Amino acid sequence: MAEEAISDMKQLLSGNEAIALGAYHAGVVVAAAYPGTPSTEILQSIARMDGVYAEWSTNEKVALEVAMGAAYGGVRAMATMKHVGLNVAADPFFAVSTTGTIGGLVVVSCDDPGEHSSQGEQDNRHLAKFAKVPMLEPTDSQEAYDLMEWAFTISEEFDTPVLLRATTRISHCKTVVEANKERKAELKQAAFTRCPTKYVMVPSNARPRRQAMEERIVKLRSYVEDFPMNEIITGDRKLGVISSGVAYQYAREVFKDASHLKLVTTYPIPVNLVRRFAQEVERVIVIEELDPYLEEEVRGLGIEVTGKDFIPIIGELNLEIVEQGAIKAGLLSEKPKPPLKSEVAPPQLPPRRPQLCAGCPHVAAEYVLRKLGFHAPDAKERQLKKDELVVTSDIGCYTLGVYPPLAALDTCACMGASIGQALGLEKAGVPNRTVAVIGDSTFMHSGITGLVDVVYNQGNTTVIILDNGTTAMTGHQGHPGTGISATGTKTQAVVLEKLAEGIGVKDVNVVDAFDMDALESTIKRCVANDEPSVIIVRGPCPLYVKPSGTPFEVDPDECAGCFDCLDLGCPAISVADDIARIDASVCVGTACGICAQICPHEAISEIKQ
Amino acid sequence: MTLEKDPLNLIITGVGGQGNVLASQIVATAGIKDGFYVTVGETYGASQRGGGVLSHVRFSLQTQCGPLTPEGQADIVIGMEPMEALRVIADFGNPETRVIVSPRPIYPIWVLSGQATYPPIEDVLGGLRELTGEVRVIEPSVDGGTPLPTNVLMVGALAGSGMLPISLSSFEEALKEIIAPKSLELNLEAFKKGLEATAT
Repeated sequence: MAEEAISDMKQLLSGNEAIALGAYHAGVVVAAAYPGTPSTEILQSIARMDGVYAEWSTNEKVALEVAMGAAYGGVRAMATMKHVGLNVAADPFFAVSTTGTIGGLVVVSCDDPGEHSSQGEQDNRHLAKFAKVPMLEPTDSQEAYDLMEWAFTISEEFDTPVLLRATTRISHCKTVVEANKERKAELKQAAFTRCPTKYVMVPSNARPRRQAMEERIVKLRSYVEDFPMNEIITGDRKLGVISSGVAYQYAREVFKDASHLKLVTTYPIPVNLVRRFAQEVERVIVIEELDPYLEEEVRGLGIEVTGKDFIPIIGELNLEIVEQGAIKAGLLSEKPKPPLKSEVAPPQLPPRRPQLCAGCPHVAAEYVLRKLGFHAPDAKERQLKKDELVVTSDIGCYTLGVYPPLAALDTCACMGASIGQALGLEKAGVPNRTVAVIGDSTFMHSGITGLVDVVYNQGNTTVIILDNGTTAMTGHQGHPGTGISATGTKTQAVVLEKLAEGIGVKDVNVVDAFDMDALESTIKRCVANDEPSVIIVRGPCPLYVKPSGTPFEVDPDECAGCFDCLDLGCPAISVADDIARIDASVCVGTACGICAQICPHEAISEIKQ
Repeated sequence: MTLEKDPLNLIITGVGGQGNVLASQIVATAGIKDGFYVTVGETYGASQRGGGVLSHVRFSLQTQCGPLTPEGQADIVIGMEPMEALRVIADFGNPETRVIVSPRPIYPIWVLSGQATYPPIEDVLGGLRELTGEVRVIEPSVDGGTPLPTNVLMVGALAGSGMLPISLSSFEEALKEIIAPKSLELNLEAFKKGLEATAT
């Protein structure tokens, strides 16, 4: 019986699920996030747990401010986000480092080395040091689970937010977790204690808090010396390897016999422990992903150390990269690749990249933009002709429209940037008209302020909001426009067209995402007008609503083989025997119908029963 | 309980939407029930929209492994899509790798639009045979009019093949724990069909 209970506590959890469970058992009361790969599953998991308030916030800055407020109220709170999300939340991150908290406050940043699903690569360990916030890094799911209780405890004991930093291979890797705790039965009652010197950061209050931050770091430096999860594994003393996070797993597998120092507290680092380790071994190396963060910390102690001269600074590590680096550095002898790869070369295979789905409501608008605004058939670097459009874009599924055959986008930088970029191009005097393309969730996240700027500064930009009723790219989370909360309950929806009107846009249009003629005429008219305009292109994400339309087919007698329909990039349409063919198992047919609207030979129609 | 090689590396590959993550979850959970250290490394993200996906499932009796299989060291590859299986073999395969593969292609956009050609399926399977030690082709199956989920069908084929030293009862327990009750019956049917296809 008892044995069964123990095995029941063993679960296969991703790092993200382990972070959620660890936070739950640690008694988190408020959790807030904006979805972003690889962090999304943390809040998704917490939203399923009883007794926690979980929300999808408008953006990461708001998420952290909500968590900050909850922690000011004395309870344990967390905000989770992807690496670039912490850029958005940097302002409250630095601010709450200054004020400190009462209840425990944990910020989780999931970095994406190698940019599996991101517009940029950055090492957020620098942000912990930058904001003077203590940082913990788990090496697997068990540690992710265990660290949450530690993170909240440190936060409360040292009057500071704590950064828990994971990476894709921690967040999305599953290992066995022994969840040895239960949620605390008695949680602290929320209460706010008035204390303007702590919470009201006018300069006269902020200066003493600045002093407190430095004193806090001094105390933390001595605290982390005895942190039980930092660990020296003594092996061959010829080589000492310092690592953290997922890099520790690679280091252990490649340098099986060496001595290892696994660091979990990576800001501040345990200086004396590192010195002791360095004295025990003949040579010290650091194996770490992205920047030489630990390497520089260790070198700063006067310890001779190498790392980035044989481990790449860009991208994700894996076993081969670490092994090849070790060979290059003379730390491993070159060995013939074990199970020798076959001599036979595999045939050339066509690439497979992500694409917009059959029935995607973004396709028609991007197709029209391409038709109206792009003259050349390819997207090569060149000067624009005068009547071409500049299409600034944003972050979401629709960014896939940069690839041929749609190839209808000119920019994609960071969340919400499309609108400001469009205005900037216009104010610089670029002669082409600008159109900003942004999704509904991204518009809520950080497009609103850009639109306010366009109205206030009398721009002429046309903003196209692709409204598919969900945050699609990250797996269909709610946002303020959907009226559905993180836990799936109905809530007040923020209505896009009313919001745009309220901001002062006079030319606000709502167009059916599958009506080609309406899209074309509306875009044409808005672009020609000398005032700001908004076009809300509305149609549901087919992965979310699973539409039940009657599929279409191609009439082989009518199809002339012009293949105009292929310009949509629809995964249901292909070429067979020199005419177009529609795969009825993929096509959503009458729920979309854009191919039938553009076929010049009227060869596409519903399958007749 | 023994492992012919430790760690034993399994890679499950397919196309976004085929249910890679669920398949790896079932196999890994079954492995844990039989006392293995199991690590699952997923590669997904933007790939959800029809891109290729990979799940590394690594079994050991000695230690918790890292999330990724080293190059050339896949012992078993499950391919829910034939070309993706060949792509994985090119990176992770060796002459002793064993492959269980569905012969049903899912065409990428450049093939659909005629800008690239999907190699003839016989060439893909031939390539797999040339590069590996064993290839078992599992045809997709239907139950009446309903297509059976390929991911669980392939897990069934893996269970039936005996390539992994995991008991049938652990596979079945894992299925019952992980699959939602409303679709359990269909998935158990898929598992059984897969099992029958490889069990001899």
